[in-house]
Amino acid sequence: MQNLDKWKALSLAALAAIVLVLPLVVKSSFAIDIFIRILLFSFIGVAWNLMGGYAKQLSLGHAAYFGLGAYTSTILQIDFGISPWIGMIAGGVVAMLASLPIGWLCFRLRGPYFTIATIATAQALMLIFLKFRDLAWGAEGTTIPNLGNAPLMMQFEAKAAYYYVALGLLVVGLAITHLIERSWMGYYLVAIGEDEDAAEAIGVNAPRIKRDIYMISSFLTALAGTFYTQYIYFIDPATAFSFSISIEAALVSIVGGIGTLWGPVIGTILLETTSTLLQSWLGGSVGGVQLTVYSLILMAVILWRPTGLMGMISEAWRRYVSRKPARA
Amino acid sequence: MSAANRRERKGTPMAEALVIRGLNKRFGGLRAVQDVSFTVQENETVALIGPNGAGKTTSFNLITGFHRPDSGSVSAYGREIVGLKPHDICAHGLARTFQVAKPFGAMTVLANVMTGAFLRDKHIAVAREKAREAIEFVGLSAREHTAAKDLTTIDQRRLEMARALATEPRLLLLDEVMAGLNPAEIDQAVALVGKLSKRGLTIVIVEHVMRAIMAVARHIVVLDHGQKIAEGSPKEIVENPEVVRAYLGSYVHPPTPGET
Repeated sequence: MQNLDKWKALSLAALAAIVLVLPLVVKSSFAIDIFIRILLFSFIGVAWNLMGGYAKQLSLGHAAYFGLGAYTSTILQIDFGISPWIGMIAGGVVAMLASLPIGWLCFRLRGPYFTIATIATAQALMLIFLKFRDLAWGAEGTTIPNLGNAPLMMQFEAKAAYYYVALGLLVVGLAITHLIERSWMGYYLVAIGEDEDAAEAIGVNAPRIKRDIYMISSFLTALAGTFYTQYIYFIDPATAFSFSISIEAALVSIVGGIGTLWGPVIGTILLETTSTLLQSWLGGSVGGVQLTVYSLILMAVILWRPTGLMGMISEAWRRYVSRKPARA
Repeated sequence: MSAANRRERKGTPMAEALVIRGLNKRFGGLRAVQDVSFTVQENETVALIGPNGAGKTTSFNLITGFHRPDSGSVSAYGREIVGLKPHDICAHGLARTFQVAKPFGAMTVLANVMTGAFLRDKHIAVAREKAREAIEFVGLSAREHTAAKDLTTIDQRRLEMARALATEPRLLLLDEVMAGLNPAEIDQAVALVGKLSKRGLTIVIVEHVMRAIMAVARHIVVLDHGQKIAEGSPKEIVENPEVVRAYLGSYVHPPTPGET
Protein backbone atom coordinates (compact mmCIF):
# COMPACT_ATOMS: atom_id res chain seq x y z
CA MET A 1 0.00 0.00 0.00
CA GLN A 2 2.76 2.39 1.01
CA ASN A 3 4.68 1.47 -2.12
CA LEU A 4 1.61 2.24 -4.19
CA ASP A 5 1.30 5.70 -2.66
CA LYS A 6 4.96 6.34 -3.27
CA TRP A 7 4.57 5.19 -6.85
CA LYS A 8 1.59 7.50 -7.28
CA ALA A 9 3.49 10.48 -5.87
CA LEU A 10 6.45 9.74 -8.10
CA SER A 11 4.39 9.53 -11.26
CA LEU A 12 2.63 12.75 -10.31
CA ALA A 13 6.00 14.46 -9.84
CA ALA A 14 7.19 13.13 -13.19
CA LEU A 15 4.03 14.40 -14.85
CA ALA A 16 4.50 17.82 -13.24
CA ALA A 17 8.11 17.97 -14.46
CA ILE A 18 7.14 17.07 -18.02
CA VAL A 19 4.30 19.58 -18.08
CA LEU A 20 6.55 22.31 -16.70
CA VAL A 21 9.41 21.91 -19.19
CA LEU A 22 7.20 21.15 -22.19
CA PRO A 23 7.07 24.73 -23.59
CA LEU A 24 10.84 25.10 -23.08
CA VAL A 25 11.50 22.06 -25.24
CA VAL A 26 8.75 22.36 -27.82
CA LYS A 27 9.23 25.55 -29.78
CA SER A 28 6.57 25.13 -32.46
CA SER A 29 3.92 27.73 -31.80
CA PHE A 30 1.33 25.46 -33.43
CA ALA A 31 2.08 22.76 -30.85
CA ILE A 32 2.04 25.21 -27.94
CA ASP A 33 -1.29 26.52 -29.15
CA ILE A 34 -2.67 22.99 -28.98
CA PHE A 35 -1.20 22.52 -25.50
CA ILE A 36 -2.85 25.74 -24.35
CA ARG A 37 -6.19 24.63 -25.76
CA ILE A 38 -5.83 21.31 -23.97
CA LEU A 39 -5.03 23.01 -20.66
CA LEU A 40 -7.84 25.52 -21.06
CA PHE A 41 -10.53 23.03 -21.99
CA SER A 42 -9.32 20.63 -19.32
CA PHE A 43 -9.84 23.45 -16.87
CA ILE A 44 -13.32 24.23 -18.21
CA GLY A 45 -14.10 20.51 -18.02
CA VAL A 46 -12.84 20.34 -14.45
CA ALA A 47 -15.05 23.29 -13.51
CA TRP A 48 -18.06 21.69 -15.21
CA ASN A 49 -17.30 18.30 -13.70
CA LEU A 50 -17.72 19.59 -10.15
CA MET A 51 -21.42 20.08 -10.75
CA GLY A 52 -22.15 18.05 -13.86
CA GLY A 53 -19.96 15.11 -12.94
CA TYR A 54 -20.03 14.64 -9.19
CA ALA A 55 -23.58 15.89 -8.59
CA LYS A 56 -24.78 14.78 -12.05
CA GLN A 57 -26.52 18.11 -12.72
CA LEU A 58 -26.06 18.01 -16.47
CA SER A 59 -25.65 21.65 -17.43
CA LEU A 60 -25.27 22.60 -21.07
CA GLY A 61 -25.22 26.28 -20.31
CA HIS A 62 -21.79 26.87 -18.84
CA ALA A 63 -21.01 29.20 -21.73
CA ALA A 64 -23.11 31.71 -19.77
CA TYR A 65 -20.36 31.95 -17.14
CA PHE A 66 -17.52 31.71 -19.64
CA GLY A 67 -19.07 34.70 -21.44
CA LEU A 68 -19.78 36.67 -18.28
CA GLY A 69 -16.19 36.21 -17.16
CA ALA A 70 -14.88 37.26 -20.57
CA TYR A 71 -17.12 40.32 -20.80
CA THR A 72 -16.62 41.48 -17.22
CA SER A 73 -12.83 41.56 -17.48
CA THR A 74 -12.89 43.06 -20.98
CA ILE A 75 -15.31 45.85 -20.03
CA LEU A 76 -13.24 46.61 -16.94
CA GLN A 77 -10.07 46.67 -19.02
CA ILE A 78 -11.27 48.74 -21.98
CA ASP A 79 -13.66 51.12 -20.24
CA PHE A 80 -11.87 51.49 -16.91
CA GLY A 81 -8.30 50.41 -17.57
CA ILE A 82 -8.41 47.75 -14.90
CA SER A 83 -6.00 44.84 -15.26
CA PRO A 84 -7.56 41.60 -16.47
CA TRP A 85 -5.95 39.87 -13.49
CA ILE A 86 -8.35 41.78 -11.28
CA GLY A 87 -11.05 41.59 -13.96
CA MET A 88 -10.68 37.83 -13.94
CA ILE A 89 -11.61 37.63 -10.26
CA ALA A 90 -14.35 40.23 -10.77
CA GLY A 91 -15.69 38.12 -13.65
CA GLY A 92 -15.69 35.09 -11.40
CA VAL A 93 -17.67 36.96 -8.79
CA VAL A 94 -20.15 38.23 -11.41
CA ALA A 95 -20.60 34.67 -12.69
CA MET A 96 -21.03 33.39 -9.16
CA LEU A 97 -23.72 35.97 -8.46
CA ALA A 98 -25.41 35.26 -11.80
CA SER A 99 -25.52 31.55 -10.95
CA LEU A 100 -27.79 32.32 -7.99
CA PRO A 101 -30.92 33.42 -9.89
CA ILE A 102 -30.13 31.07 -12.79
CA GLY A 103 -29.76 28.16 -10.39
CA TRP A 104 -32.84 29.23 -8.46
CA LEU A 105 -34.80 28.91 -11.70
CA CYS A 106 -33.15 25.87 -13.26
CA PHE A 107 -32.88 23.68 -10.18
CA ARG A 108 -36.66 23.60 -9.97
CA LEU A 109 -36.37 21.20 -12.86
CA ARG A 110 -34.70 17.83 -12.86
CA GLY A 111 -33.08 15.68 -15.52
CA PRO A 112 -33.40 16.73 -19.17
CA TYR A 113 -35.64 19.68 -18.26
CA PHE A 114 -32.86 21.11 -16.14
CA THR A 115 -30.42 20.69 -19.03
CA ILE A 116 -32.73 22.48 -21.47
CA ALA A 117 -33.22 25.34 -19.04
CA THR A 118 -29.46 25.83 -18.69
CA ILE A 119 -29.08 25.96 -22.49
CA ALA A 120 -31.74 28.66 -22.55
CA THR A 121 -29.94 30.83 -19.98
CA ALA A 122 -26.72 30.88 -21.98
CA GLN A 123 -28.62 31.69 -25.19
CA ALA A 124 -30.55 34.46 -23.43
CA LEU A 125 -27.33 36.04 -22.19
CA MET A 126 -25.86 35.87 -25.69
CA LEU A 127 -28.92 37.69 -27.05
CA ILE A 128 -28.66 40.35 -24.36
CA PHE A 129 -25.06 41.08 -25.32
CA LEU A 130 -25.99 41.02 -29.02
CA LYS A 131 -28.93 43.41 -28.79
CA PHE A 132 -27.85 45.90 -26.16
CA ARG A 133 -25.08 47.73 -27.92
CA ASP A 134 -24.55 50.20 -25.08
CA LEU A 135 -23.60 47.37 -22.81
CA ALA A 136 -20.71 46.01 -24.82
CA TRP A 137 -20.10 46.61 -28.53
CA GLY A 138 -23.04 44.52 -29.79
CA ALA A 139 -22.65 41.86 -32.43
CA GLU A 140 -19.34 42.96 -33.95
CA GLY A 141 -17.53 42.67 -30.64
CA THR A 142 -14.19 44.30 -30.06
CA THR A 143 -10.50 43.58 -30.16
CA ILE A 144 -8.39 43.84 -27.05
CA PRO A 145 -5.80 46.65 -27.43
CA ASN A 146 -2.42 45.05 -27.96
CA LEU A 147 0.03 46.42 -25.42
CA GLY A 148 2.95 44.25 -26.46
CA ASN A 149 4.57 42.52 -23.55
CA ALA A 150 2.50 43.58 -20.53
CA PRO A 151 2.38 40.82 -17.94
CA LEU A 152 0.42 43.00 -15.54
CA MET A 153 -2.30 43.31 -18.18
CA MET A 154 -2.17 39.57 -18.93
CA GLN A 155 -0.50 40.10 -22.28
CA PHE A 156 2.66 38.29 -23.21
CA GLU A 157 4.95 38.19 -26.19
CA ALA A 158 5.92 34.58 -25.59
CA LYS A 159 3.21 32.01 -26.11
CA ALA A 160 4.78 29.92 -23.37
CA ALA A 161 3.61 32.49 -20.82
CA TYR A 162 -0.01 31.84 -21.75
CA TYR A 163 0.74 28.17 -21.39
CA TYR A 164 1.82 28.68 -17.79
CA VAL A 165 -1.22 30.81 -16.98
CA ALA A 166 -3.53 28.11 -18.34
CA LEU A 167 -1.55 25.50 -16.45
CA GLY A 168 -1.96 27.52 -13.26
CA LEU A 169 -5.72 27.67 -13.78
CA LEU A 170 -5.88 23.92 -14.32
CA VAL A 171 -3.83 23.23 -11.20
CA VAL A 172 -6.17 25.44 -9.17
CA GLY A 173 -9.20 23.64 -10.60
CA LEU A 174 -7.74 20.21 -9.87
CA ALA A 175 -6.72 21.22 -6.36
CA ILE A 176 -10.22 22.50 -5.57
CA THR A 177 -11.75 19.33 -7.00
CA HIS A 178 -9.37 17.18 -4.99
CA LEU A 179 -10.23 19.00 -1.76
CA ILE A 180 -13.97 18.76 -2.41
CA GLU A 181 -13.76 15.12 -3.45
CA ARG A 182 -12.07 14.20 -0.19
CA SER A 183 -14.45 16.12 2.07
CA TRP A 184 -18.06 15.65 3.17
CA MET A 185 -19.03 17.91 0.28
CA GLY A 186 -17.80 15.33 -2.23
CA TYR A 187 -19.87 12.61 -0.61
CA TYR A 188 -22.93 14.88 -0.57
CA LEU A 189 -22.47 15.75 -4.25
CA VAL A 190 -22.26 12.13 -5.33
CA ALA A 191 -25.22 11.26 -3.10
CA ILE A 192 -27.31 13.99 -4.74
CA GLY A 193 -26.26 12.74 -8.15
CA GLU A 194 -27.21 9.18 -7.25
CA ASP A 195 -30.56 9.80 -5.58
CA GLU A 196 -31.66 13.20 -4.44
CA ASP A 197 -34.59 11.95 -2.35
CA ALA A 198 -32.45 9.46 -0.49
CA ALA A 199 -29.88 12.18 0.12
CA GLU A 200 -32.55 14.50 1.53
CA ALA A 201 -33.79 11.69 3.77
CA ILE A 202 -30.42 11.43 5.49
CA GLY A 203 -30.16 15.14 6.11
CA VAL A 204 -28.50 16.46 2.95
CA ASN A 205 -29.77 19.94 2.16
CA ALA A 206 -29.73 19.24 -1.58
CA PRO A 207 -30.86 22.67 -2.83
CA ARG A 208 -28.15 24.41 -0.81
CA ILE A 209 -25.41 22.01 -1.84
CA LYS A 210 -26.41 22.33 -5.49
CA ARG A 211 -26.45 26.12 -5.20
CA ASP A 212 -23.00 26.17 -3.62
CA ILE A 213 -21.37 23.86 -6.15
CA TYR A 214 -23.00 25.79 -9.00
CA MET A 215 -21.40 28.96 -7.63
CA ILE A 216 -17.95 27.36 -7.45
CA SER A 217 -18.33 25.85 -10.90
CA SER A 218 -19.49 29.17 -12.40
CA PHE A 219 -16.66 31.08 -10.77
CA LEU A 220 -14.02 28.78 -12.26
CA THR A 221 -15.67 28.76 -15.69
CA ALA A 222 -15.60 32.57 -15.74
CA LEU A 223 -11.83 32.56 -15.15
CA ALA A 224 -11.45 30.53 -18.33
CA GLY A 225 -13.52 33.12 -20.20
CA THR A 226 -11.19 35.94 -19.23
CA PHE A 227 -8.12 33.93 -20.13
CA TYR A 228 -9.49 32.92 -23.52
CA THR A 229 -10.36 36.52 -24.46
CA GLN A 230 -6.88 37.71 -23.46
CA TYR A 231 -5.35 34.87 -25.43
CA ILE A 232 -7.19 35.50 -28.71
CA TYR A 233 -7.37 39.32 -28.29
CA PHE A 234 -10.98 39.38 -29.35
CA ILE A 235 -14.44 39.17 -27.89
CA ASP A 236 -17.94 39.00 -29.35
CA PRO A 237 -21.15 37.42 -28.07
CA ALA A 238 -21.03 34.54 -30.52
CA THR A 239 -17.65 33.28 -29.28
CA ALA A 240 -18.02 34.24 -25.61
CA PHE A 241 -21.41 32.58 -25.20
CA SER A 242 -20.86 29.91 -27.84
CA PHE A 243 -22.95 26.79 -27.36
CA SER A 244 -19.91 24.76 -28.39
CA ILE A 245 -18.15 25.83 -25.20
CA SER A 246 -21.00 24.43 -23.13
CA ILE A 247 -20.89 21.23 -25.15
CA GLU A 248 -17.11 20.93 -24.94
CA ALA A 249 -17.16 21.38 -21.16
CA ALA A 250 -19.60 18.49 -20.78
CA LEU A 251 -18.12 16.37 -23.53
CA VAL A 252 -14.53 16.24 -22.29
CA SER A 253 -15.82 15.20 -18.87
CA ILE A 254 -18.18 12.56 -20.21
CA VAL A 255 -15.55 11.05 -22.49
CA GLY A 256 -12.87 11.17 -19.82
CA GLY A 257 -15.12 10.01 -17.01
CA ILE A 258 -17.55 12.17 -15.05
CA GLY A 259 -17.15 12.50 -11.34
CA THR A 260 -13.43 11.72 -11.42
CA LEU A 261 -10.55 14.06 -10.73
CA TRP A 262 -8.59 13.41 -13.93
CA GLY A 263 -11.51 12.53 -16.22
CA PRO A 264 -11.88 15.95 -17.87
CA VAL A 265 -8.12 16.19 -18.46
CA ILE A 266 -7.90 12.80 -20.11
CA GLY A 267 -11.05 13.51 -22.12
CA THR A 268 -9.63 16.79 -23.40
CA ILE A 269 -6.31 15.28 -24.35
CA LEU A 270 -8.09 12.60 -26.36
CA LEU A 271 -10.62 14.88 -28.02
CA GLU A 272 -8.27 17.78 -28.78
CA THR A 273 -5.52 15.60 -30.23
CA THR A 274 -7.99 13.57 -32.26
CA SER A 275 -9.67 16.62 -33.69
CA THR A 276 -6.35 18.34 -34.46
CA LEU A 277 -4.87 15.24 -36.07
CA LEU A 278 -8.01 14.59 -38.07
CA GLN A 279 -8.05 18.17 -39.22
CA SER A 280 -4.49 18.01 -40.49
CA TRP A 281 -5.00 14.64 -42.16
CA LEU A 282 -8.47 15.04 -43.56
CA GLY A 283 -9.11 18.77 -43.36
CA GLY A 284 -7.98 19.27 -46.94
CA SER A 285 -10.20 16.56 -48.38
CA VAL A 286 -13.98 16.56 -48.67
CA GLY A 287 -15.45 19.14 -46.30
CA GLY A 288 -16.80 17.73 -43.05
CA VAL A 289 -15.01 14.38 -43.22
CA GLN A 290 -12.92 15.12 -40.13
CA LEU A 291 -16.05 16.10 -38.21
CA THR A 292 -17.76 12.85 -39.21
CA VAL A 293 -14.84 10.74 -38.05
CA TYR A 294 -14.64 12.78 -34.85
CA SER A 295 -18.32 12.15 -34.17
CA LEU A 296 -17.88 8.43 -34.78
CA ILE A 297 -15.06 8.28 -32.23
CA LEU A 298 -17.28 10.10 -29.74
CA MET A 299 -20.14 7.69 -30.29
CA ALA A 300 -17.83 4.73 -29.88
CA VAL A 301 -16.52 5.98 -26.53
CA ILE A 302 -19.98 6.75 -25.20
CA LEU A 303 -21.45 3.44 -26.40
CA TRP A 304 -18.69 1.16 -25.19
CA ARG A 305 -17.29 3.07 -22.26
CA PRO A 306 -20.16 4.95 -20.63
CA THR A 307 -18.04 5.36 -17.49
CA GLY A 308 -15.49 7.20 -19.58
CA LEU A 309 -11.81 6.49 -20.00
CA MET A 310 -11.15 6.95 -16.30
CA GLY A 311 -13.52 4.06 -15.65
CA MET A 312 -11.47 1.93 -18.00
CA ILE A 313 -8.19 2.98 -16.44
CA SER A 314 -9.26 2.45 -12.83
CA GLU A 315 -10.75 -0.90 -13.75
CA ALA A 316 -7.45 -1.98 -15.29
CA TRP A 317 -5.62 -0.58 -12.28
CA ARG A 318 -7.79 -2.62 -9.94
CA ARG A 319 -7.38 -5.75 -11.97
CA TYR A 320 -3.64 -5.67 -12.60
CA VAL A 321 -2.03 -3.43 -10.05
CA SER A 322 -3.78 -3.09 -6.73
CA ARG A 323 -6.12 -6.10 -6.69
CA LYS A 324 -8.58 -4.59 -4.28
CA PRO A 325 -12.31 -3.84 -4.62
CA ALA A 326 -13.71 -0.39 -5.45
CA ARG A 327 -12.40 2.25 -3.12
CA ALA A 328 -14.54 4.30 -0.76
CA MET B 1 -56.92 2.18 22.80
CA SER B 2 -55.99 5.68 23.81
CA ALA B 3 -52.56 6.95 24.71
CA ALA B 4 -53.60 7.12 28.35
CA ASN B 5 -54.43 3.42 28.37
CA ARG B 6 -51.07 2.59 26.84
CA ARG B 7 -49.38 4.54 29.57
CA GLU B 8 -51.32 2.61 32.14
CA ARG B 9 -50.42 -0.69 30.56
CA LYS B 10 -46.73 -0.08 30.77
CA GLY B 11 -47.07 1.17 34.30
CA THR B 12 -44.74 4.13 33.84
CA PRO B 13 -45.63 7.40 32.13
CA MET B 14 -43.99 7.74 28.72
CA ALA B 15 -43.09 10.77 26.70
CA GLU B 16 -44.76 11.29 23.36
CA ALA B 17 -42.31 11.00 20.49
CA LEU B 18 -44.68 11.61 17.60
CA VAL B 19 -48.19 13.05 17.72
CA ILE B 20 -50.19 13.01 14.51
CA ARG B 21 -53.48 14.89 14.43
CA GLY B 22 -56.08 15.02 11.65
CA LEU B 23 -53.72 14.39 8.77
CA ASN B 24 -55.26 14.83 5.31
CA LYS B 25 -53.79 14.46 1.84
CA ARG B 26 -55.49 14.43 -1.54
CA PHE B 27 -53.96 13.53 -4.88
CA GLY B 28 -56.47 14.93 -7.38
CA GLY B 29 -59.69 13.07 -6.70
CA LEU B 30 -58.04 10.45 -4.52
CA ARG B 31 -58.17 10.99 -0.80
CA ALA B 32 -54.95 9.19 0.06
CA VAL B 33 -55.00 9.99 3.75
CA GLN B 34 -58.16 11.09 5.59
CA ASP B 35 -58.18 12.50 9.06
CA VAL B 36 -55.55 10.13 10.42
CA SER B 37 -54.45 10.61 14.01
CA PHE B 38 -52.19 8.50 16.17
CA THR B 39 -49.51 8.85 18.77
CA VAL B 40 -46.16 7.11 19.13
CA GLN B 41 -44.67 6.92 22.59
CA GLU B 42 -40.96 7.10 23.13
CA ASN B 43 -39.07 3.77 22.95
CA GLU B 44 -42.12 2.10 21.48
CA THR B 45 -42.40 0.17 18.23
CA VAL B 46 -45.58 1.02 16.37
CA ALA B 47 -46.67 -0.77 13.21
CA LEU B 48 -48.69 0.86 10.48
CA ILE B 49 -50.58 -1.81 8.55
CA GLY B 50 -53.29 -1.99 5.94
CA PRO B 51 -54.01 -3.34 2.46
CA ASN B 52 -52.25 -1.93 -0.60
CA GLY B 53 -53.22 1.68 -1.21
CA ALA B 54 -54.33 2.21 2.37
CA GLY B 55 -52.14 5.28 2.70
CA LYS B 56 -49.26 3.89 4.73
CA THR B 57 -46.43 5.13 2.55
CA THR B 58 -48.25 8.42 1.97
CA SER B 59 -48.45 8.85 5.74
CA PHE B 60 -44.69 8.28 5.91
CA ASN B 61 -44.13 10.85 3.19
CA LEU B 62 -46.31 13.34 5.07
CA ILE B 63 -44.46 12.76 8.34
CA THR B 64 -40.99 13.00 6.81
CA GLY B 65 -41.68 16.08 4.70
CA PHE B 66 -41.61 14.50 1.25
CA HIS B 67 -45.25 15.51 0.81
CA ARG B 68 -47.02 18.39 2.44
CA PRO B 69 -50.32 17.51 4.09
CA ASP B 70 -53.42 19.48 3.02
CA SER B 71 -54.27 19.81 6.67
CA GLY B 72 -53.38 18.34 10.02
CA SER B 73 -50.39 18.48 12.27
CA VAL B 74 -47.35 16.33 12.94
CA SER B 75 -45.47 17.06 16.10
CA ALA B 76 -42.20 15.32 16.87
CA TYR B 77 -40.58 15.70 20.27
CA GLY B 78 -42.68 18.75 20.97
CA ARG B 79 -41.99 20.53 17.67
CA GLU B 80 -44.41 21.01 14.78
CA ILE B 81 -42.66 19.58 11.72
CA VAL B 82 -45.27 20.10 8.99
CA GLY B 83 -43.72 22.40 6.40
CA LEU B 84 -40.15 21.45 7.20
CA LYS B 85 -37.98 20.00 4.45
CA PRO B 86 -36.97 16.32 4.62
CA HIS B 87 -33.38 17.18 5.57
CA ASP B 88 -34.58 19.40 8.42
CA ILE B 89 -36.82 16.63 9.69
CA CYS B 90 -33.90 14.23 9.56
CA ALA B 91 -31.78 16.72 11.48
CA HIS B 92 -34.60 16.89 14.05
CA GLY B 93 -34.07 13.18 14.67
CA LEU B 94 -36.49 11.38 12.35
CA ALA B 95 -34.81 9.05 9.88
CA ARG B 96 -36.61 6.93 7.32
CA THR B 97 -35.99 4.13 4.88
CA PHE B 98 -37.73 3.74 1.53
CA GLN B 99 -40.08 1.04 0.35
CA VAL B 100 -37.91 0.58 -2.71
CA ALA B 101 -34.37 0.80 -1.35
CA LYS B 102 -32.51 3.84 -2.62
CA PRO B 103 -28.84 3.10 -2.15
CA PHE B 104 -26.25 5.42 -3.69
CA GLY B 105 -25.34 2.70 -6.18
CA ALA B 106 -21.96 3.99 -7.31
CA MET B 107 -20.69 4.44 -3.76
CA THR B 108 -19.38 1.70 -1.51
CA VAL B 109 -21.37 0.61 1.52
CA LEU B 110 -18.98 2.55 3.74
CA ALA B 111 -19.30 5.74 1.67
CA ASN B 112 -23.10 5.42 1.69
CA VAL B 113 -23.23 5.25 5.45
CA MET B 114 -20.59 7.94 5.92
CA THR B 115 -22.81 10.27 3.90
CA GLY B 116 -25.44 9.77 6.59
CA ALA B 117 -22.92 10.28 9.39
CA PHE B 118 -21.86 13.67 8.01
CA LEU B 119 -25.13 15.12 9.29
CA ARG B 120 -23.76 15.19 12.83
CA ASP B 121 -20.03 15.54 12.18
CA LYS B 122 -18.31 16.79 9.03
CA HIS B 123 -14.91 15.23 9.80
CA ILE B 124 -14.02 12.30 7.58
CA ALA B 125 -12.35 10.26 10.32
CA VAL B 126 -15.24 10.68 12.77
CA ALA B 127 -17.84 9.92 10.08
CA ARG B 128 -15.94 6.81 9.04
CA GLU B 129 -15.80 5.61 12.62
CA LYS B 130 -19.52 6.17 13.14
CA ALA B 131 -20.35 4.60 9.80
CA ARG B 132 -18.35 1.46 10.64
CA GLU B 133 -20.26 1.18 13.89
CA ALA B 134 -23.64 1.42 12.13
CA ILE B 135 -22.52 -1.06 9.46
CA GLU B 136 -21.42 -3.50 12.11
CA PHE B 137 -24.72 -3.04 13.94
CA VAL B 138 -26.75 -4.13 10.91
CA GLY B 139 -24.29 -6.93 10.15
CA LEU B 140 -22.87 -5.63 6.90
CA SER B 141 -19.20 -5.33 7.85
CA ALA B 142 -18.10 -7.97 5.35
CA ARG B 143 -19.56 -5.86 2.54
CA GLU B 144 -18.02 -2.57 3.60
CA HIS B 145 -16.12 -2.04 0.35
CA THR B 146 -18.76 -3.43 -1.99
CA ALA B 147 -20.47 -0.98 -4.33
CA ALA B 148 -24.04 -0.55 -3.08
CA LYS B 149 -25.52 -1.50 -6.43
CA ASP B 150 -24.00 -4.98 -6.12
CA LEU B 151 -25.75 -5.82 -2.85
CA THR B 152 -28.55 -8.36 -2.48
CA THR B 153 -32.04 -7.16 -1.54
CA ILE B 154 -31.68 -7.81 2.17
CA ASP B 155 -28.25 -6.23 2.23
CA GLN B 156 -29.63 -3.14 0.50
CA ARG B 157 -32.26 -2.93 3.24
CA ARG B 158 -29.53 -3.34 5.84
CA LEU B 159 -27.60 -0.58 4.14
CA GLU B 160 -30.64 1.72 4.24
CA MET B 161 -30.99 1.06 7.95
CA ALA B 162 -27.29 1.64 8.59
CA ARG B 163 -27.40 4.89 6.62
CA ALA B 164 -30.43 6.04 8.59
CA LEU B 165 -28.82 5.00 11.86
CA ALA B 166 -25.68 6.96 11.03
CA THR B 167 -27.75 10.16 11.21
CA GLU B 168 -28.27 9.35 14.90
CA PRO B 169 -32.06 9.43 14.86
CA ARG B 170 -34.38 9.24 17.84
CA LEU B 171 -37.19 7.90 15.74
CA LEU B 172 -36.78 5.49 12.87
CA LEU B 173 -39.45 5.06 10.20
CA LEU B 174 -39.08 1.78 8.34
CA ASP B 175 -41.10 1.43 5.15
CA GLU B 176 -41.63 -2.25 4.30
CA VAL B 177 -38.11 -3.32 5.07
CA MET B 178 -39.14 -6.96 4.84
CA ALA B 179 -40.87 -6.95 1.47
CA GLY B 180 -39.28 -9.43 -0.92
CA LEU B 181 -37.30 -11.25 1.75
CA ASN B 182 -37.43 -15.00 2.23
CA PRO B 183 -38.58 -16.46 5.59
CA ALA B 184 -35.05 -16.87 6.94
CA GLU B 185 -34.20 -13.30 5.97
CA ILE B 186 -37.41 -12.07 7.59
CA ASP B 187 -36.29 -13.65 10.85
CA GLN B 188 -32.98 -11.82 10.55
CA ALA B 189 -34.77 -8.56 9.82
CA VAL B 190 -37.12 -9.05 12.78
CA ALA B 191 -34.13 -9.67 15.02
CA LEU B 192 -32.52 -6.50 13.71
CA VAL B 193 -35.61 -4.38 14.38
CA GLY B 194 -35.75 -5.86 17.88
CA LYS B 195 -32.11 -4.94 18.37
CA LEU B 196 -32.80 -1.36 17.24
CA SER B 197 -35.69 -1.12 19.65
CA LYS B 198 -33.54 -2.41 22.51
CA ARG B 199 -31.04 0.29 21.69
CA GLY B 200 -33.70 2.75 22.78
CA LEU B 201 -34.93 3.81 19.35
CA THR B 202 -38.56 4.64 18.76
CA ILE B 203 -39.69 2.82 15.64
CA VAL B 204 -42.61 3.24 13.27
CA ILE B 205 -42.76 0.37 10.85
CA VAL B 206 -44.91 -0.15 7.76
CA GLU B 207 -45.16 -3.81 7.01
CA HIS B 208 -47.17 -6.45 5.20
CA VAL B 209 -45.53 -9.46 6.77
CA MET B 210 -47.90 -10.18 9.63
CA ARG B 211 -45.59 -12.61 11.34
CA ALA B 212 -43.01 -9.86 11.56
CA ILE B 213 -45.44 -7.26 12.85
CA MET B 214 -46.70 -9.53 15.58
CA ALA B 215 -43.12 -10.14 16.62
CA VAL B 216 -41.93 -6.56 16.76
CA ALA B 217 -44.86 -4.21 17.36
CA ARG B 218 -46.36 -3.37 20.69
CA HIS B 219 -48.97 -1.14 19.17
CA ILE B 220 -50.63 -1.36 15.75
CA VAL B 221 -52.44 1.27 13.70
CA VAL B 222 -54.59 -0.09 10.86
CA LEU B 223 -55.31 2.03 7.80
CA ASP B 224 -57.77 1.28 5.03
CA HIS B 225 -58.63 3.58 2.11
CA GLY B 226 -56.70 6.35 3.81
CA GLN B 227 -58.61 6.13 7.08
CA LYS B 228 -57.65 4.71 10.42
CA ILE B 229 -60.02 1.83 11.09
CA ALA B 230 -58.47 0.37 14.21
CA GLU B 231 -55.67 0.80 16.70
CA GLY B 232 -54.50 -1.37 19.56
CA SER B 233 -52.31 -4.18 20.72
CA PRO B 234 -51.56 -6.99 18.23
CA LYS B 235 -54.04 -9.26 20.00
CA GLU B 236 -56.81 -6.68 19.80
CA ILE B 237 -56.07 -6.06 16.14
CA VAL B 238 -56.30 -9.67 14.97
CA GLU B 239 -59.61 -10.05 16.77
CA ASN B 240 -61.06 -6.84 15.37
CA PRO B 241 -63.84 -7.68 12.86
CA GLU B 242 -63.26 -4.40 11.01
CA VAL B 243 -59.64 -5.31 10.39
CA VAL B 244 -60.52 -8.83 9.29
CA ARG B 245 -62.99 -7.35 6.82
CA ALA B 246 -60.36 -5.00 5.39
CA TYR B 247 -57.99 -7.90 4.95
CA LEU B 248 -60.75 -10.15 3.59
CA GLY B 249 -59.28 -13.35 2.34
CA SER B 250 -55.90 -12.82 3.87
CA TYR B 251 -54.89 -14.92 6.80
CA VAL B 252 -53.75 -13.13 9.92
CA HIS B 253 -51.46 -15.02 12.27
CA PRO B 254 -52.57 -14.81 15.89
CA PRO B 255 -49.77 -13.62 18.08
CA THR B 256 -47.86 -16.37 19.81
CA PRO B 257 -47.58 -16.05 23.57
CA GLY B 258 -44.62 -14.11 24.76
CA GLU B 259 -44.44 -11.97 21.66
CA THR B 260 -47.05 -9.43 22.60
